[in-house]
Amino acid sequence: MKRENRLQYIIKEGFLDTFYIWKDELKNVFKDSGVVIFFFLVPFIYPILYAFIYNNEVVREAKMVVVDQSDSFLSREFTRRVNATADVEVVAVCSDMAEAKKMLDEKKAYGILYFPSEFSKDLHKGKQTTLSLYCDMSSLLFYKAFLLASMEVSLDMGKELRAHNSPASSGKMEEIMVEPIPYESVAIFNSQNGFASFLVPAILILVLQQTLVLGIGMLGGTAREKNRFHTLVPVCRHFNGTLRIVFGKSLTYLLLYVVVCIWVLAIVPKLFGLPQVGESWTIMFFILPYLFACIFFAMTLSGFMRSREAPMLVFVFTSVVLIFISGVSWPKEAIPPFWKVIGYVFPSTPGIQGFIRINTSGATLNEVAHEYRTLWVQAGIYFITACMIYRFQIMRSRKLIIKQYRYMKMQRALRKGK
Amino acid sequence: MTFEESLHKIRTVANREIHRWGKSPIYFFCMLVAPTICVIFFLSLMKDGLPTDMPIAVVDLDGSATSRNLVRQLDAFEQTKVVVRTTSFDEARREMQKGNVYGVFYIPEDFGVDAASGRQPRLSFYTNGTYLIAASLLFRDMKTMSVLAGASVGLQTGLAKGYTEDQIMAQLQPIVIDTHALGNPWLNYSVYLNNTLLPGVLQLMIFLVTVFSIGSEIKHSTSREWLESGGNSMTVSLLGKLLPQTVVFTVVAFLYCAALYGFNSFPLNSGWGPMLLALFLLVISSQAVGVFMIGLLPTLRLGLSFASLFGMLAFSIVGFSFPVLGMDPTLQALSDLFPLRHYFLIYVDQALNGRDLFYSWTEYAWLTGFLILPFLIGRNLKGALLYFKYIP
Repeated sequence: MKRENRLQYIIKEGFLDTFYIWKDELKNVFKDSGVVIFFFLVPFIYPILYAFIYNNEVVREAKMVVVDQSDSFLSREFTRRVNATADVEVVAVCSDMAEAKKMLDEKKAYGILYFPSEFSKDLHKGKQTTLSLYCDMSSLLFYKAFLLASMEVSLDMGKELRAHNSPASSGKMEEIMVEPIPYESVAIFNSQNGFASFLVPAILILVLQQTLVLGIGMLGGTAREKNRFHTLVPVCRHFNGTLRIVFGKSLTYLLLYVVVCIWVLAIVPKLFGLPQVGESWTIMFFILPYLFACIFFAMTLSGFMRSREAPMLVFVFTSVVLIFISGVSWPKEAIPPFWKVIGYVFPSTPGIQGFIRINTSGATLNEVAHEYRTLWVQAGIYFITACMIYRFQIMRSRKLIIKQYRYMKMQRALRKGK
Repeated sequence: MTFEESLHKIRTVANREIHRWGKSPIYFFCMLVAPTICVIFFLSLMKDGLPTDMPIAVVDLDGSATSRNLVRQLDAFEQTKVVVRTTSFDEARREMQKGNVYGVFYIPEDFGVDAASGRQPRLSFYTNGTYLIAASLLFRDMKTMSVLAGASVGLQTGLAKGYTEDQIMAQLQPIVIDTHALGNPWLNYSVYLNNTLLPGVLQLMIFLVTVFSIGSEIKHSTSREWLESGGNSMTVSLLGKLLPQTVVFTVVAFLYCAALYGFNSFPLNSGWGPMLLALFLLVISSQAVGVFMIGLLPTLRLGLSFASLFGMLAFSIVGFSFPVLGMDPTLQALSDLFPLRHYFLIYVDQALNGRDLFYSWTEYAWLTGFLILPFLIGRNLKGALLYFKYIP
């Protein structure tokens, strides 16, 4: 038996080659400023930028203008209380709608609260009265602030008026009559309904996938541009097996991204005070298959990249689609089945779902079992496709070598023939 | 060069550019395929306008006819669907962590009896703020339900005492708020988001294609040839190169317009003119910003990275989801650097609110102002085109 065919030898050589490729790929990463941008600069800067943009979490003091046709004690009291809420600021009290509308046009205010002239009279007569609230719909958060603040004030004042109009024998009796069934609302996991706590964790996870796809795609594109015969795999003794290439390269990315993950998933949330109630071990166990899935997914895609810039042109816009398909902003129950299926192609869909539930809602792996399993399945499938891509590329470069060899041999024969 | 010569040269460069498109299919992907994917995706994703039947869990510790009635009524709300009924809050919380429900409605023990006998039983409801849209929709329904539950008790007592329903309602809820969501009375999310998301995608693709089409000339060392075909004039060469792209992107933008305001009949209170003009200005101002990007960073990959980051950031900083007024003052100033921001403000004034053009002229002026950018960077760009050596 030849030495080359012994299993022991193959395994030993495979290991050595894997490490050779690992080192080679590491060098490739750091030599290429474009890849460094995507592997390090973007994951470093982007989370900070987004956390900074959404850092105020909620809208405070949304500007409102009041049209008070009633001009009574009650209407002024109502206005004063709305102004006192944290969400709304009353910037002016106008005498008619035209003036208020002009303020909306000039963006001096984003909502109008209108008191009809019979507001106070109706209330004193014991008739129901209606206030009109007009909202500029350029931002739903303004609308929400206006609506909640005026609803709250109207319910409170309503209760007081009732107690005042029909006094009962004791304070307790009054309370029971005014509010037979009290209620309370609790926002859990993101207790102030903040925007950063809602969106930034999803962006963090998406950034991991997208930078891997862009970075690895760029490495693949560069290899295709640089290598002889424009194949993904260089002509070299060490690049002689599919598994060693896939293992060697993915090891490089994995090790680099462990560092990136620590920054993105552990340090950034701390820096910006984002909610993080999940166990760090659970997060780690969950992120591992996510990284595998992303890396193999990216390696598969990189097989289709012919130039180093192509990934940016092709994949950047998908981030917008992927954040919506993940079911964090648009609830997953409302996503049409077709897009739901498409969503399962990308590791970010189960990745985002699982991560925010662990990180923000304190779920354990049991509660995210479905997403966890999906990620492993994706990792498995994309591992196989990545191997297929590299296998195909190895075969192609071999074929091209043989073709070139024959061509040269033929030319030499021709020359000799002369 | 005379004017006619310039026109002729521009045509030569434009022909050359269209020839280049034929050689790399990526242009077609960026100019046509990607925008098409996005318009189909976003419009079909949000075709219902508002998500309906959001799942909640009910923890019913009472189990009486009263509480069951309450649950039935809650389920009948359009946005709410009761998918889990349980007697353990722990289980409801786990369902929430599993992502099966977004809210929990809690009915305490002896609720029915206590309510009827005036012992003030307390209803509680919980929303999962991690899913902001679902949470705020459910909050509304569950709050209404709680208010109604109190009202129904009051109604029964009042009827028993012989009051008319009008009198009782005036007692129960003396002040009613009548809300008018101007321009979007249905609170349609598709109207709210797609009017800015889709032009945002367009802006991103314009940045990328502009940078790519100029940067690839430098990379493949064809930039001298390009300049020569434009008679060595930067203006002529740029115009010739960008005009075909302007035409394609403007057509795509107008098709977006047709999809939004024609096919989907989104509010268009201003008529077509102001919005078509705004879209056209968005296209050319984004191209101008693209030229500036590659002029500033004349390496293809750096220029493209810059374009990607800037284009993606636009979606957040434009302030259609989280208002700019709620951001840090630095960011408020920065937001002016994005053409999409000005487009968004025009859209709010014109299509959404139908305001007088007078109120948006500054935004139109801003968009036009971006056209100065190529002139500022022109010298730098020409230098790069003539002397820059591509370093891989």
